[in-house]
Amino acid sequence: MAAIEARGLIKTFGSLRAVDGVSFQVERGETYGLLGPNGAGKTSIMRMLAGLSPISGGELFLSGLNVAEQPRAVRTRLGVVTQADGLDGELSVRQNLEVFGFLIGLSRREARARADEVLGFFRLRERGNAEVDELSGGMRRRLAIARALMGKPEVVVLDEPSTGLDPESRIRVWEELAELKRADVTLLMSTHYMDEAETLCDRIAIMHSGRILDEDTPPELIRRHAGSAALDLRPSGSSRADIRDALTNAGLRFREVGAVIRVTGGNGAPPVLPPLEGVQVSERAANLEDVFLALAGRGLQEEQP
Amino acid sequence: MSTATPVLAAETGLIRFRSVHAIWWRHLLALSRVWQVAMTWFVIEPVVVLLAVALGIGRLVGEMDAYGSYALFVAPGIVIGTAMFHAIFECSWSTFERIGQSYYETALTAPVTIPEIILAELAFAITRALISTVAVAGFAIAFGWIPLAALPGLLLVSVGVGLVFGGIGLLFAALAPSMHALSLVFTLVATPLYFFSGTFFPISVLPDWLQPVAWAAPLTPLVELARGVATGQLGVVHLYCGLYVMALAALLYPLAVVLMRRRLMK
Repeated sequence: MAAIEARGLIKTFGSLRAVDGVSFQVERGETYGLLGPNGAGKTSIMRMLAGLSPISGGELFLSGLNVAEQPRAVRTRLGVVTQADGLDGELSVRQNLEVFGFLIGLSRREARARADEVLGFFRLRERGNAEVDELSGGMRRRLAIARALMGKPEVVVLDEPSTGLDPESRIRVWEELAELKRADVTLLMSTHYMDEAETLCDRIAIMHSGRILDEDTPPELIRRHAGSAALDLRPSGSSRADIRDALTNAGLRFREVGAVIRVTGGNGAPPVLPPLEGVQVSERAANLEDVFLALAGRGLQEEQP
Repeated sequence: MSTATPVLAAETGLIRFRSVHAIWWRHLLALSRVWQVAMTWFVIEPVVVLLAVALGIGRLVGEMDAYGSYALFVAPGIVIGTAMFHAIFECSWSTFERIGQSYYETALTAPVTIPEIILAELAFAITRALISTVAVAGFAIAFGWIPLAALPGLLLVSVGVGLVFGGIGLLFAALAPSMHALSLVFTLVATPLYFFSGTFFPISVLPDWLQPVAWAAPLTPLVELARGVATGQLGVVHLYCGLYVMALAALLYPLAVVLMRRRLMK
């Protein structure tokens, strides 16, 4: 049985379809990433799973339990880290954990013991009596993740776990998430950071405008949509228009990002350039960003008939 | 897992007692962490009002036929009026702040439902009303303005205060788009009620056209009940008052659930 399964999932806000018929499966122990820009529908999917948002259509299951029919049973098996952290500023760090533990059904003694465990795991034990406001951004995020683990959930949902963190805190959060994965916890996370998705996720769904454009392991997505290598062209001032024409005529996929024109291949092959003049070419390994630009670009074109 | 039993209750729409208990406990814990400041709300402020009104204004008013001194008339009103402020503040201001800080969002990721959140908020509004009544009535009892035997009755009335004004506070918290708009709960509801619900003067001295309005105000039956308990003069009017309070509470609870669900679940 899949840890999470969505079948034709829909979320509407008035006339807006934030999630537009999305289907995917997350296997037990897997880390699955929803990758896409703001407004792609990632948060809506997670909020529906967490019972924070009513499902407008389709079906959503957690370990075979229908989220719409058994929301409470689902939430006893699920840990949720929302974008806002939702930490309780009126309580100490330790009280945040213990009160939440009591709320999910632990006895006070169990909650105290479990709080010790998760504080240790997240290396926050010395900060147990601190006020939440005294914590750094990274510590706050780790405390929010620690809180989601109070009930030893089978599945943890993380909405942009490292957004707003400095590089060192990010790495630390990543390490701790990797450790959870080793403990066989299923993780569903959203992110708009390509490096985060590539580092943490077994599989990724690339989302745009409420739809999944494609889904696979990061290397396979890169092979399929960006080829083995990508080329960055840096045209000199006057040659830009000519180069654009030449690339179009050659049937190549490209996208202008600032001063650079990124050219991607596809189906495992690197792009082959036509003869060009007045341009500096550098080759690099293709990455998820190339995949995203290729896919999202296509998605946008489909929207405009 | 120890959460297995309440799960069943959830799916049948029953109330999971642990949710209510845990949220109530959280509020008590948060209050106890600022107890030095809280003491001033519960003790100093109401006692200042009580002394100023009972001794200061009471000196000018002199004897009141049906009650003896003005202090005996006004003390139960101030006890209940103060309890009202606590209940309404808790469920409007504090609840609104907790919405902004995503407290309920976090609570809802646990196996918790909106009705349970509302019940916990009301339970804590009642708790604050009770603490307030113990403090203020305690002083009035010490001064001999309220008999000690009336305390249990006043506590019972304070439960009604918590339910009704907690409920009203929750409606404002659920509907207010901003802190500014929320302050209307004090200017439009709490302050007028504090003065025009038979707290400081009998409703019978108001002009004829205003009297029915004052009687319909939600604080009036509670003040009337408290005064009946304090003076020992209970009559059929107090039965109507009690029924009115229960009707208000029964109306406010489902309304608060619906509005809060609209606010929190999107």
